[in-house]
Amino acid sequence: MVNVDNLIDLDNAVQSKNIFWDQDVYDQEMENIFGRSWLFLTHESQIPNPGDFFTTFMGEDPVIVARQMDGTVSAFINSCTHRGNQVCHADSGNARSFVCSYHGWAFGLDGKLAGVPLEAEVYYNKLDKESMRLREVAQVDNYRGFIFGCFDAKAPPLAEWLGEMAWYMDSWANTGGGAELIGTPMKTILRCNWKVPTENFIGDGYHITWTHVAALSVIGGPLGEAFSGGAAELPPLEDMGAQITTRHGHGFGVIWDVGHAIHRNPQNYVEFQQQTLPEVIEKQGEWGGKMYTGHWNASLFPNCSFLYGTNTFKVWHPKGPHEIEVWTWTLVQKNMSPALKREIQKEAIMSFGTAGTLESDDGENMETCTRTNRGFQTRKGTMNSSMGLGVEGRHPELPGVVGSNFIGETSYRGFYRFWDEMMRASDWDAVSKNDDTWVERWLGENAVSHLPASQAA
Amino acid sequence: MSQQGALASLELSYQVEQFYYRESRLMAQREHRRWWETMVHPDIHYWMPINEVRFLKDKRPDPTPDDGGIFNDTYTDLDDRIKRLETGMVWMEDPPSRIRHLISNVEVYHTDDDSKLSVYSNFHVYRNRRQRDEANLIGGREDVLIRDGEEFKILKRKISLDMRVVLDKNLYVFI
Repeated sequence: MVNVDNLIDLDNAVQSKNIFWDQDVYDQEMENIFGRSWLFLTHESQIPNPGDFFTTFMGEDPVIVARQMDGTVSAFINSCTHRGNQVCHADSGNARSFVCSYHGWAFGLDGKLAGVPLEAEVYYNKLDKESMRLREVAQVDNYRGFIFGCFDAKAPPLAEWLGEMAWYMDSWANTGGGAELIGTPMKTILRCNWKVPTENFIGDGYHITWTHVAALSVIGGPLGEAFSGGAAELPPLEDMGAQITTRHGHGFGVIWDVGHAIHRNPQNYVEFQQQTLPEVIEKQGEWGGKMYTGHWNASLFPNCSFLYGTNTFKVWHPKGPHEIEVWTWTLVQKNMSPALKREIQKEAIMSFGTAGTLESDDGENMETCTRTNRGFQTRKGTMNSSMGLGVEGRHPELPGVVGSNFIGETSYRGFYRFWDEMMRASDWDAVSKNDDTWVERWLGENAVSHLPASQAA
Repeated sequence: MSQQGALASLELSYQVEQFYYRESRLMAQREHRRWWETMVHPDIHYWMPINEVRFLKDKRPDPTPDDGGIFNDTYTDLDDRIKRLETGMVWMEDPPSRIRHLISNVEVYHTDDDSKLSVYSNFHVYRNRRQRDEANLIGGREDVLIRDGEEFKILKRKISLDMRVVLDKNLYVFI
């Protein structure tokens, strides 16, 4: 077992570069993080009917997610219990059973072993089929239609896992009919460690002003105008947004009032938001409304990220310490008209799809941030995420820990704080015992956010 | 697409092939603006659908332009992509990629509209970046070319990339 004691220095906000390269650290992540966390699987809208299935990964484990005849959703490891072959090779579809292409074993939608060729003749009816079902994912649940699975039966329920993050997500996931994902995902590869894009999405407002300056200058709009002239022309940053991190490492940065900013012609989208805004304010107050009309860069621990406003929803599937698969959907609200959904999907793909104008800005950076650590001396060093350290903490009206500015690294620090906790913990009991004291243990007794309480107005 | 008709003559096929070779050369030379101005029709639909891996018995329809597409571009969309490259602030392209298009299997057909040709071709696009970063993109194209005097312009292009998981970090490349 790898020594995980000195990988993260919370006080100085640095991380060992080795965590982006080392195979032993990665193997421990598979056990402690991907083996214990709730992982995003798919959305209800992707498998609406009985028999609908979607194949994905939890960590590196291939998984089938299937809508049962009774309407519930189950998930199984996509590997035959006989000799291990994958039993479903399609991305999605509708099936009554999954038949292994090796010896023809047939598994029902519920994962049970239903048929074995020549069962009587070669097994002499001694095969205990009940015990040979596809291995079931211990917990499967959905939060407002977003389906997650967890290999650890002792993990807290999904709603608790999302915790304070769920309140923020509700601003759009519980408005306008709720949210859904449309289309089949686009898939690419990045030769980077899975944490690099997760941390980028969770909290990197900083790079927007530099990495994406070319694309933003073409798109124009409020962000293009703010950033394409360079940082010297920015409006006062304290008034532009905030960063938030929560108990289980989920977090986001939000830029107020510009949710639509990466859409080239956002009129219809803005109109939809304005029509549905009163609904949010009624349920969640002015701050909820502020979240709803903002632009978010967000990640759900450990490997699911999204840009609310830009309508991009991604999963970073790890493929060893140095490679990931990037799966990208479009995030819309159910009550949008089909025409508006199409319009938004086109813009979301134009910006953060496989050939996206902003997507292609990021890949090179993410790969190189990983690959430099191949250097033996290089990876003895540390990564720094100290931006905004000391001006974050509890806020009188907002849940979680709140940083004072959307350009900061509060949610980076929150991500690695929880990564560190999971890597050290022997089991979920060891994590849960810190639930009431995590902020104080991390930031001390008196850490308060400098974000003005008045910004909601 | 217009109805496919008779195979084009040797001379016409040759002209179309030369059109594609010139297009490929402009890409290698990063002359995207010239390509857009001289070879692309203002009504272009430039499309690369997302193809799922599905069972043969799956009855769902093939993707249409109403679905999300990796490219689903109009003339203006292509213009925006090129404008981005022209800003001089695309750090991933500085130093620039090396890109080479190999075009083959060109089949040129007349259509029921004298001004339009229906053309199939295959591509192998090689992209090499920085020191040793490389990608090989292979697939087929279905074009509608429209005659423009002695020249052609691309009115429709459907690009079928023969990959489910795109084995590269992005597809910011014109095919």
